Amino acid sequence: MTNFNPFLIAEKLNTDVKNPNSESWVFEVQKDGFLCADFLQTDASLDVLVVLNGENAKCHINCAYLVNKNNKININIKVLHKVKNTLSKQQIKGLITDSGYVNFIGTIEIPEYAQKCNGLQNHRGILLSPKATVSATPQLEIWADDVQCAHGSAVGPLDQNQLFYLLARGLPEQEAKRLLLRSFLGDLMPKDFDELISNWMDKNV
Amino acid sequence: MLEIKNLHARVGDKEILKGLNLTIQTGEVHAIMGPNGCGKSTLASVIAGHPAYTVTEGEILFKGQNLLKMKPDERANSGVFLAFQYPVELPGVGMAQFLKAALNAKRKFLGQQPMDAVQFMKYMNLRAKALDITSEMLKRSVNVGFSGGEKKRLETFQMAMLEPDFCVLDEMDSGLDVDALKLVGKAVSVMREVHRSFMIITHHDDLLQYVQPDRVSVMREGRVLITGSAELVKEIEAKGYDKF
Ligand SMILES: Nc1ncnc2c1ncn2[C@@H]1O[C@H](COP(=O)(O)OP(=O)(O)OP(=O)(O)O)[C@@H](O)[C@H]1O
Ligand SMILES: [Mg+2]
Repeated sequence: MTNFNPFLIAEKLNTDVKNPNSESWVFEVQKDGFLCADFLQTDASLDVLVVLNGENAKCHINCAYLVNKNNKININIKVLHKVKNTLSKQQIKGLITDSGYVNFIGTIEIPEYAQKCNGLQNHRGILLSPKATVSATPQLEIWADDVQCAHGSAVGPLDQNQLFYLLARGLPEQEAKRLLLRSFLGDLMPKDFDELISNWMDKNV
Repeated sequence: MLEIKNLHARVGDKEILKGLNLTIQTGEVHAIMGPNGCGKSTLASVIAGHPAYTVTEGEILFKGQNLLKMKPDERANSGVFLAFQYPVELPGVGMAQFLKAALNAKRKFLGQQPMDAVQFMKYMNLRAKALDITSEMLKRSVNVGFSGGEKKRLETFQMAMLEPDFCVLDEMDSGLDVDALKLVGKAVSVMREVHRSFMIITHHDDLLQYVQPDRVSVMREGRVLITGSAELVKEIEAKGYDKF
């Protein structure tokens, strides 16, 4: 059985990693470096800072959260584009049920001298019970003008028409929900986390 | 097969079906026609069990059973199939995976063994060919990025896969080019059997030229006004709905 809040550094090149405490990560990606890190949060908070420290530095941060019961977690992900020509992509997706609470803050900071940067952030949360809550705060601190930035955040219940389509084809409700939620998470997370995700679904969906 | 008595249904506070009566015999092809907004798709949704619609009065008997008491998946597995007017997109859910799950859900419901992957592929490829569905289309996510006509063909294909007893086709013929119409018409004709009934909702006689209806009902403002023979289609084509 995998760790309860597993993380994986899928790829790393010219990157310094610090782990000041179990919930915090600081990555410094140097010139021409690359970082791809995957986090799966179930019952612990996460604080990630990525500093893109040299030209052509790139990072992909993937985070999924699965939150149930009375668990309350904070997810803080910040990417600082310290120099020009750097690229970042944050993808955050999550499922919350029971009275779970997630406070997500996603930051992209690009100072005015860091031109030609590309920053992406996308967050989507699915609420599986009426008491589940997500507070999402995208913070874009973009001071440079020649940059490309996109962000989006959407939180809501499972799409009723999608669910109905599956039911109308004979899938029992639980199976239909699991199928939709698995495809919602898609291949955001590495295979290593499959077992943990499946176990969570079996218990909570 | 299907017996609807005094059906009233609403969305929110808005009553859409207002005392609808309709009987469809086993083996019958029954066309439903009626102006935009008269409640045809609502009727189809109520039959399939969409939770947005509340039935306030009346009953629906399906093969003698109280359909309104059954959950949507139980209705499907008992033989009700709805080909949607606007099929939803399911990003990340592959068509083959989806159909295997649906087919095996039905088999489980009926107490049959699930089909294994090899059996399933054979079963699927045979039916795909008849509707000109390519393997590339089967590998893609359900309905995602398909044209309107392709979506309709895929709905027909799903119907052929699941072999339901009662097929509701909601405007299957709108948005189909002549070749696709021919394919769909042929697929429906092939499935026309003594134990299977069809409810074909349509605005034109396009599909009906391939699948001669046994009976035709005209709906208006949430009710069935008149039920008659296939002759009614010609009358509607010629004169519109105003005379009903
Ligand atoms: N989910 C809904 N929410 C609000 N109104 C609805 C809903 N579904 C249907 N209606 C309304 O009910 C009426 C009947 O709609 P319905 O889709 O059943 O008509 P239809 O006969 O299928 O029309 P068309 O020929 O255009 O497909 C319309 O006025 C429509 O706006
Ligand atoms: Mg309609």
